[in-house]
Amino acid sequence: MEHLEISAALARAPARDKALLKSLFAAALATLAAGVVAGALVALTRGGATAPAPENGYRLLTSHGVSAFFFWLYFAQAALLLALVMAHGRARPALALRAFAWLGGALMLAGFAATQAGTWLGAPLLYDGEPDLAQDDRDHALLFYAGYLGLALGLACIALSAIATAIAGKAERGGAPWSAVTFGAVAWAGLILVSGVAMLNTFLPAVLWAAGAGAPPTDHSTGWHILFHNLHYLPLMGTVLVWYALARDYVGAGSLFGERFSKLVFALYLIFVPPTSLYHMFLEPGLAPLVRALGSVLSLFVGVPTIAAFLVIVISLEARARAAGRRGAFGWARALPWGQPAADALAIAVLSLALGGTFSFVLIQEKLAGLLSDTFFVPAYFHFLTVGTVSLTLLAGIAHAMPGLGGHAPPLRRLLRALPYAIGAALLVFALAGVVGGLTGLPRRALDVSYDGQAPALWRTISIVVGAAGAVMATAVLAYALILLGGLARLGARAAAPPARAIAPPPERAVVRYSAWSAPASVAVLILAIYAATALAFELMHALPVLASGSGH
Amino acid sequence: MDEDVLALAIVFAVWALLAAAYALVPMFDMPAAARVWGAGAAVFLALALWVLVSIGKAARGRRGARAPR
Repeated sequence: MEHLEISAALARAPARDKALLKSLFAAALATLAAGVVAGALVALTRGGATAPAPENGYRLLTSHGVSAFFFWLYFAQAALLLALVMAHGRARPALALRAFAWLGGALMLAGFAATQAGTWLGAPLLYDGEPDLAQDDRDHALLFYAGYLGLALGLACIALSAIATAIAGKAERGGAPWSAVTFGAVAWAGLILVSGVAMLNTFLPAVLWAAGAGAPPTDHSTGWHILFHNLHYLPLMGTVLVWYALARDYVGAGSLFGERFSKLVFALYLIFVPPTSLYHMFLEPGLAPLVRALGSVLSLFVGVPTIAAFLVIVISLEARARAAGRRGAFGWARALPWGQPAADALAIAVLSLALGGTFSFVLIQEKLAGLLSDTFFVPAYFHFLTVGTVSLTLLAGIAHAMPGLGGHAPPLRRLLRALPYAIGAALLVFALAGVVGGLTGLPRRALDVSYDGQAPALWRTISIVVGAAGAVMATAVLAYALILLGGLARLGARAAAPPARAIAPPPERAVVRYSAWSAPASVAVLILAIYAATALAFELMHALPVLASGSGH
Repeated sequence: MDEDVLALAIVFAVWALLAAAYALVPMFDMPAAARVWGAGAAVFLALALWVLVSIGKAARGRRGARAPR
């Protein structure tokens, strides 16, 4: 089958589908901008540079979490899901169930407005929306919870449109198997649907209670843990699918292992979601010891799908570059399309995944979870994943697809290429300082950690570093988002149409003769780093003369 | 069987098994997890069936197009 690059394929889509994608991209970038402005103010507050009233400080923290962790990530995923399934799933890109997709976008937008109104008019509930905090102001809490229901229903509508589009494409080709990207997109859409169900399971009882139509939710935290587990996998699954699709566009060919093997890797995400969820329950007091042990063992498998996808993508890129004549240990990496802004963002995304993955394995150890879950260790490690890995990948995906929607590339190309490195450097300082703070017990949800001078002096220093680095990181992300919004407004140069390419049928005998060791070596280094970081954390924890317990993340 | 349908059916089976374990094994006792994974199993079963029906329709369409008039 002839394969067009994503942007070239989208250029052939009907105008109303392009308008929908542009609207979703714009909503994603606007919610990211709102989220990082709130995040910068939280960081400055944490560093002592600003001192809003305590309630407003927590409103900023709530707004940051809800905008950036939920609405930015899910608007962007919804838009890229539709873009991928249109570009790869159909011979002539067009959405099926188009009205559902528009309705989904509208519901998500209404959901965003409702969560922000609930946050700024009522009590700040933080992004998990704990009902205990809403006892005195149920009316505004109802707005906040209803906003999450809007997000859940909106995502479900968009996922249904994406699935229907892929199925229409399959029917057009007489029932022939999907491409790996289309299958991955359908699997991703399925997980989005399930996450919508998990969101309803968590927030519907809270909505009914806040509306006076139900009893107080008794199991909100368990529902949140299950939803949160989905929200660990979902953006990462989207991330590796975007990596896979962009790598395919860059080299003009798919995986060396074949389409069927890539489908297996994408299916692994779905197969590993339910059994690895137990570690979120480590902080539940009544959990049976055998379940704790089982959860510990199963948690070791949480990274398997992502590592498998990384191996497939990087081995394929390396072997193709070596077959094309690239020599030297890392000569193959010079063959990557470094002139394109998305490539720089993806490089930082991969490095961030390695660092975030290393620290995440420390946190999910059953013996350490209780000690670290309420410390700054948590935001430190997860910003590697949410900002460095997922957000930069989604931004790269938007930048890559953009020329197909309006015929213009994003403006300020050189700045766009530099920003991922600025974000990565600030993130590194923010996260490493935060990890050190977390290991010394620095609390995560306290905006002022001086405790009337009783706190360790180190906490104050770390808070200043975290605050300054967080503000720089947020500013750089904001700049990236604004540049892409400028691209949607056609402020960039007119993009040249990329040529159509015919994909060579994998596996290609000429290419598979070349060794590709970089990816397996990287995974070996990662495993050693996880081992070293976990051993170090255990040593540090044993040295502390305290007992502690956490309430989960 | 079509490889896409087969993959979705395997996902359904794994999720259904896990949902049953969370619902029925006393040691787990996690009704909320059983609800979500059970709903997930239903989603992937429905997806597999949707694809299967679409393949059947496409095959009937091909046969109809080849049939003499």
